[in-house]
Amino acid sequence: MAGSFAAYVDDRPADKVFRVDRAIYLDDAVFAAEIANIFEATWQFVCHESQIPNHGDYFANHLGRQPIFVMRQQDGGIGGFVNACAHRGALLTPMKQGNAKTLTCRFHGWTYGSDGHCIRIKNEETGYDPARFRRTDYDLTRLPRVEAYRGFVFACLNPAAPALVEFLGEAARFLEFIAHQSADGMEVLPGSSTYVINGNWKLQSENAVDGYHVSTVHRVFGATVARREERPGYDGMMRTESGRIAGKVENGCYDLGGGHMVIWADRSPPDTSPLFEQKDRLERDYGAAKARWMLGRGRNLIVFPSLMINDFAATQIRTFRPIAADRTEVTIYCLAPRGESKSARYARLRKFEDFFLVSGMATADDVMALEDSQTGSRGRTARWGEFHRGLDSVVHGPDAAARDGKFNPVTSNNTWDQETLYHGFYRRWKALMTTEAIGAKEAAE
Amino acid sequence: MRNDIGLQTEVTNLICRETMLLDRRRFDEWIELFTEDAVYWVPAWRSEEQTTDDPETQLNLIYLRDRGGIEDRIFRIESRDSYASVPLDRTVHLVGNVLVEKVEGDRVEATANCLVHSYGKKGGQTRGSLYDYIFRRTDGTLKIARKKIVFIDDRLEGAVDVYHL
Repeated sequence: MAGSFAAYVDDRPADKVFRVDRAIYLDDAVFAAEIANIFEATWQFVCHESQIPNHGDYFANHLGRQPIFVMRQQDGGIGGFVNACAHRGALLTPMKQGNAKTLTCRFHGWTYGSDGHCIRIKNEETGYDPARFRRTDYDLTRLPRVEAYRGFVFACLNPAAPALVEFLGEAARFLEFIAHQSADGMEVLPGSSTYVINGNWKLQSENAVDGYHVSTVHRVFGATVARREERPGYDGMMRTESGRIAGKVENGCYDLGGGHMVIWADRSPPDTSPLFEQKDRLERDYGAAKARWMLGRGRNLIVFPSLMINDFAATQIRTFRPIAADRTEVTIYCLAPRGESKSARYARLRKFEDFFLVSGMATADDVMALEDSQTGSRGRTARWGEFHRGLDSVVHGPDAAARDGKFNPVTSNNTWDQETLYHGFYRRWKALMTTEAIGAKEAAE
Repeated sequence: MRNDIGLQTEVTNLICRETMLLDRRRFDEWIELFTEDAVYWVPAWRSEEQTTDDPETQLNLIYLRDRGGIEDRIFRIESRDSYASVPLDRTVHLVGNVLVEKVEGDRVEATANCLVHSYGKKGGQTRGSLYDYIFRRTDGTLKIARKKIVFIDDRLEGAVDVYHL
């Protein structure tokens, strides 16, 4: 059965062909296999460490279809648990995010410590035989793997998965470009937004690193902010880079391997960035080349399958959760360097609001374009989605900019209009979707 | 002042006019109802029970600091180049519970509720908003100096623009 999904990725670079069957956005069998082989088998982003700073802080999320939560432990570590009472399965966290030294199930009152141990069962003595009943048999089910890298907390239901840092591979370098923006660490700012797209989750992964759409879908955003910048109050960091949106700067894209992808573009100019106030520190601590990547270039990163880290006009964490083949729930947060100046924080938030929300002036347009792609894909008489743009200019291995940044992509390409970065994404997808014994495969990698 | 029927009628008429202009796509006249320094603020939700409450240092769904910011939104909608705005959703605003809360010289504070039914590519949706207004009287005319909208949905279906709110 799993082998049948292989034909959905038509990967023949020698013939200048790379295309995917649009059934991958539509088919319920594909979706079910993705949940099992990808979302419930590989590392998934759960939250940022700043969202659970203190003992008892919890954050609820999903791995595939499974509700889970992570909780800050007394020793400072992070515990991860299936979000279900050991008794009858009711959710344990009343909120998405909160603090509790113990969690008491609101259904029948069973209580768990922050380490997941069952510490109290209501009326235990009248219902269970003390000679045979052991409360410790009813601890919460731990997630097999929870690890953090540079503040980004991930979990995995596959006990045989490689270490998180191995899974991240070259994408780890791009998480560093974010994490090092403050000597005091990064923080998620108050407020978030969740929206539901009538579209397959992979369309969101594609869109997140699609440089090619920027100069069409976001042309109106560029025109709007260019017009605005003629008014007072929109100078300095409050400027948005309309030149970048028009594609008039150096840019490019990388297949980072492991399904991870990134696009980048020069900032036009760098002093529009709220991070610019830290230029001297970044150059001193990290050297000119890394500072250039952190400050001089904006980046959109996809960590396979469904975490986007955007650092263009502002810094964003975007995660998306597959609900059905044609439904995806997206949640976004603004991430910011701790201790940045008041004016930098202000500019970061305002630029985030301008662009990124479905109530903003750009993401709303992305979402509707993405939904149209879902609808158009139902025209099954037209079978293929094309991804071969840029096959003539693709560079195997790093280009000069990648060597400067000390990362080693599988391929590099000369503009962010190219589509060769998706080849790594869909090769990874195909490998996972055609593997029966997922645990064994991950262990072998 | 809270029993001033004339003021109650004036405020109610202004809010009804504002939403009528949105529903009928008379955006230029809608903008004219705001003062030059008007603030248009839609906070984000920070938890299941609380919105953000400091627009300067926290995330908002929309935070426009002057009438120019409102004009930007309309420029994009009317450009016919915004994917989410072509075709434009149809909307019906139903305003109720208008209460004048405070009057201080030229400044009037009022609250209202609004149900907005919209219809478009995603079908029909009916969503609710809480309105907090600050009006300012200039040259005899009451204008909107600040409008805060708490949009009670926090799992949004499709684009949310000023005419949905």
